[in-house]
Amino acid sequence: MKKKIVSALLVSTMVATAFAGCGSKAEETTDTAATESTDASAEDSSTDDAIANLIAATEGTVNIDLWCSETEEYQTVMKKLCDDFAAQYPDVDFNITLGAVSEADMKDRVLEDVEAAADVFVFPDDQLEALVKAGALNEVAAQYTYDMNETDTEATVEAGQYDGKQYGYPFTASNGYFLYYDKNQLSDEDVASWEALTAKAEELGKEVGCEIANGWYLYGFFQGAGCTLTENEDQSNNCDWNNETGLAAAESLQTITSSKAFKAYGNDDLLANLNDGKVAAYVSGTWNVNAFSEAYGDGYAATKLPTFKVNGEDKQMASYSGYKFVGVNAYAENTGWSMLLAEYLTNAASQEAVYEATGEGPSNTEALAKASSPALDALAAQSEFAQLQRVGGNYWTPAESLGKNILDGKVSQKVLDDAVAGITQPVE
Amino acid sequence: MKKIGNYFKDFGQAVVHGDIWVKLSLVIMGAGYFGRKQFVRGILMTLLEVGVLASIFGVFAPYLSKLNTLGTVQREEVFDIVTMKKTVNDYDNSLLILLYGIIAILVIIAFIVLYLQNIKAVYRIQKMSENGEHINNIKDDIASFKNERFHITLLTLPSIGVILINIIPILFMVCIAFTNYDENHQPPSYLFTWVGFKNFVNLFTTSQTITFGYAFIRVLIWTLVWAVLATATTFLGGILLAQFINHEDTKFKGMWRTLFVITIGIPQFVTLLLISKMFGDNGIVNTFCSNVGILDFFKNIGLLNAGDACIPFLSRPIWAHITIILVNIWVGIPYQMLVATGILMNIPSDQIESAKIDGANKFQIFWKITMPYVMFITGPSLIQSVIGNINNFNVIYLLTYNYQTTNMAMANSHANEVDLLITWLFRLTNEYSNFKMASVIGIVTFVVCAALSLLTFSRMIGGDKEGVYR
Amino acid sequence: MKKTWKIVGRHIFLAVLAFIWLIPIFWLVVTTFSVEKGINTNHFFPEQWTLANYHQLFFEPDAAANFPAWFKNSMIIGVFSCLVSSIFVIMTAYAFSFIEFKGRKKLMSFSLILGMFPGVLSMIAMYFILKMLGLTDSVVGLIILYSGASGLGYLILKGFFDTIPTSLHEAAKLEGASEATIFAKIVVPLSKPMIVYTVINSFLNPWMDFVMVRLMIKSKDAADWTMALGLFNLLQRALVNQYFAYFCCGGLMIAVPISILFIIMQKFYVEGVTGGAVKG
Repeated sequence: MKKKIVSALLVSTMVATAFAGCGSKAEETTDTAATESTDASAEDSSTDDAIANLIAATEGTVNIDLWCSETEEYQTVMKKLCDDFAAQYPDVDFNITLGAVSEADMKDRVLEDVEAAADVFVFPDDQLEALVKAGALNEVAAQYTYDMNETDTEATVEAGQYDGKQYGYPFTASNGYFLYYDKNQLSDEDVASWEALTAKAEELGKEVGCEIANGWYLYGFFQGAGCTLTENEDQSNNCDWNNETGLAAAESLQTITSSKAFKAYGNDDLLANLNDGKVAAYVSGTWNVNAFSEAYGDGYAATKLPTFKVNGEDKQMASYSGYKFVGVNAYAENTGWSMLLAEYLTNAASQEAVYEATGEGPSNTEALAKASSPALDALAAQSEFAQLQRVGGNYWTPAESLGKNILDGKVSQKVLDDAVAGITQPVE
Repeated sequence: MKKIGNYFKDFGQAVVHGDIWVKLSLVIMGAGYFGRKQFVRGILMTLLEVGVLASIFGVFAPYLSKLNTLGTVQREEVFDIVTMKKTVNDYDNSLLILLYGIIAILVIIAFIVLYLQNIKAVYRIQKMSENGEHINNIKDDIASFKNERFHITLLTLPSIGVILINIIPILFMVCIAFTNYDENHQPPSYLFTWVGFKNFVNLFTTSQTITFGYAFIRVLIWTLVWAVLATATTFLGGILLAQFINHEDTKFKGMWRTLFVITIGIPQFVTLLLISKMFGDNGIVNTFCSNVGILDFFKNIGLLNAGDACIPFLSRPIWAHITIILVNIWVGIPYQMLVATGILMNIPSDQIESAKIDGANKFQIFWKITMPYVMFITGPSLIQSVIGNINNFNVIYLLTYNYQTTNMAMANSHANEVDLLITWLFRLTNEYSNFKMASVIGIVTFVVCAALSLLTFSRMIGGDKEGVYR
Repeated sequence: MKKTWKIVGRHIFLAVLAFIWLIPIFWLVVTTFSVEKGINTNHFFPEQWTLANYHQLFFEPDAAANFPAWFKNSMIIGVFSCLVSSIFVIMTAYAFSFIEFKGRKKLMSFSLILGMFPGVLSMIAMYFILKMLGLTDSVVGLIILYSGASGLGYLILKGFFDTIPTSLHEAAKLEGASEATIFAKIVVPLSKPMIVYTVINSFLNPWMDFVMVRLMIKSKDAADWTMALGLFNLLQRALVNQYFAYFCCGGLMIAVPISILFIIMQKFYVEGVTGGAVKG
């Protein structure tokens, strides 16, 4: 694939330079470089040439809108990266505007009016499918400054694909969940299983938990127990959570949640109670890393998700691995520059800068090697039990309702049957 | 039918009997006025004609011609990896075709009516001049807009606003209900097209996979119960509170009123959100209740199961329904009190005086004089407020935006027990991009409202009650 | 003596009611002084008090929160939509109440029916109409949006106009006043209380709307938002833990203009009593 692009680039560069008798200086120098150098540097120079062509073809100000998370850390680091990007091309006049949009809502905000949405935006992997289906994402047809297949982890690159085409530039690889705990209160054995965890928490009079009434987390239990949930071609789902294993898992989960110490807080309630010192361990992700490290102080620790008993057997809880991507709007005003900006924001140096500012784990292997924190280590430990999220839109509401039923202690074969019927309902 | 027949008959007569100026008006609409030396009118009319025709052929024609299919050319893009430029074909946008098509049809209808009226008016002027009557000059025309045509002066701008902001969007969304506009057919990248009544059939279907029918009935019932209860409680409460504050024995009337009105001052999305936090499963009220022992009390009297960890104020059916109604009373009474205060102060005092002299007691005065008077003024708005409550998005959405249903059949159609039709369709559009079903639900909501009000409002403004208090 | 107790009881009852009504407001007020920036659902009162939130509100705009700009935008939109829609409402109500013209009842019925269609649904179409006119992301567009259809809300005012004696109208006509003069010089001054109500309502609508504006303003620069949009945005998952106290401050500050408006306008309500002079 890569080779094909490069050769295509080379040929057309020749053609372009042959025709362009009055080409700029940059073109001439790269042309000679391309003919004289070895294969490897030819690659560089031909892509450089495409960029040089773009610079030459660019007139007036290049306006690029960039939407990313509204948190202060994100805005600051992205602003700096954009300025650096603009500084790389002194001949071009850039006007890069940053917009603050919550990542969880990115898809909704973009799809309201794709034509008015940002040219470049950051989105989590679970929105990829909806964005592609609405035709909002530009395919990554070629890369000019680095090759993600060489620099980024395979899993991340794959998560940015849909129907075999690459749509997202890998940005972070730490959007999954794991267990935060206070090691001053809980030992390694305590956090190994949900049964031990709830028992210890009851003894301490503290709280532990996981947001069960949310399909994203609930998946981890059923998948861990050995059930399956997969997506079909037409975006409907396959699901066998109503089989014997599923029922056993649901009942086991119901037993765990019936503990006085178990809480299924949403994010707001979690943070409020965490600050009050009530929560000793909770399933969450890097977005709460500051809250947990402040609340636990020197006891701050994180680990893979606990096991839980299904039919008397310990099963490791699974999870969704989460990624963030930078996407280019299919309706972007300056597709070329938007792609270059997206590349710049996701290269090794930028990912490192983002990691340092926000604590989110890079997807770039080089940047990842330099990053280390309890949260990222926990994610790495969980990663062998984590799956790429590929699920059709009909999953979420029934799964949320199933979780609520489990919390209310209403598990039955019928509830599971109904949930599966909803999850697997056909898509028109 | 006969009226329409006459309409065209008049037009035919005007054409047949009209003189050269009238006939010329068939082509140049201002001609008839030029013939009678009404130059300003003539120029305006001709300009209007040119403008409308230009916009129809210049702007609307391409959209209008595709209205039957809503577009056939899907967007295709080719990215050139060398020049880094993208070329896109000339694609159709179903959404714009529909929208522009609707506007074009409205413009054409309005133009035809104007055209016919114009010929008739020109013919009328011809007759007047034949009879030697006075023909209005521009000054007279302007003066007439301050007098016998004052209603036109008053209503023109509001009507334009209503057409733009209300009628066109409504027509548009009604049309959507007959298309397959959903997450798999989103313009501008993809096309949607007409599908007839399929979506309506779906709404009333209940099977294991399509549960719209099941959810719809339940949502509809709660919507109606809510609308009636919410309106009745706040309306009565507001009047009583206003009466209470206006009573001669009450000191510091202004202060009391202000205290209640402060709650209006703070936007609903702030107060309601706070309240939803307070009454949440882990909120302050629950903490308080379990500390004081109310939680155990509820368990003892059987309102809650022994295993419940909190009072599910906003997280279980019935509980949530009651909480919502109570919170709405909190929200609504200050508004109603304000309205009632304004009205109560205008009650004809002579009626009350004479009733007092006749020996009527306070309750009799309230029910026999105050209430009829208040009902007379606010009656029509009461129906509006029932309809407003059917469409009351804020209270329900802000209080229950993270409500989770345990009813699988509801969940499968993205509904829940506390949803009104309006919040349901909002989530369908906002979170699931299911515009076609949302439109169908919208139309049904509209039909419900229309049916409700037809029963009552014809009596309110249709009857001859308007003059009673004059 | 019995009478005194009754009066005291009356006031105690009012005080209890007012207390219930003010609890959430009170929580809002104390939260604005909280050191902790997130929501705390476990305590009513903050554990530590500070004024820093107010300082942040007024002097430290950042990427997510820019209260001064929001306030300005909302004020402009609010005032102009209020002007336009009040005028529309008054004009429509007058036409329907005093002028007997052809098709009047039909128009009234039609307008009632229009009001029944759920507005949430037609928002998408409104957005594209504004886009067609090139008015998205503009103050003018929002003003049109908020005031355009306001003519439909004429019913309450018309109900009030209907109580103004026709004799007054006829007498003025006999003296040679035009409809326009009667409208401006007689009816409008007579209807102050209800007009005040109309004005307050027309101001509140754009001032507090967060559903429509979310769709209509596409700019993601916080300085372009309105207050309701900006504050509502602070409740997003990623922000609420940092900005809840800020949100409360903002919510409280929104209330200030409304409260001032009401205190000024309240005397008109009291004047409503002397409005009885109409009858004389």
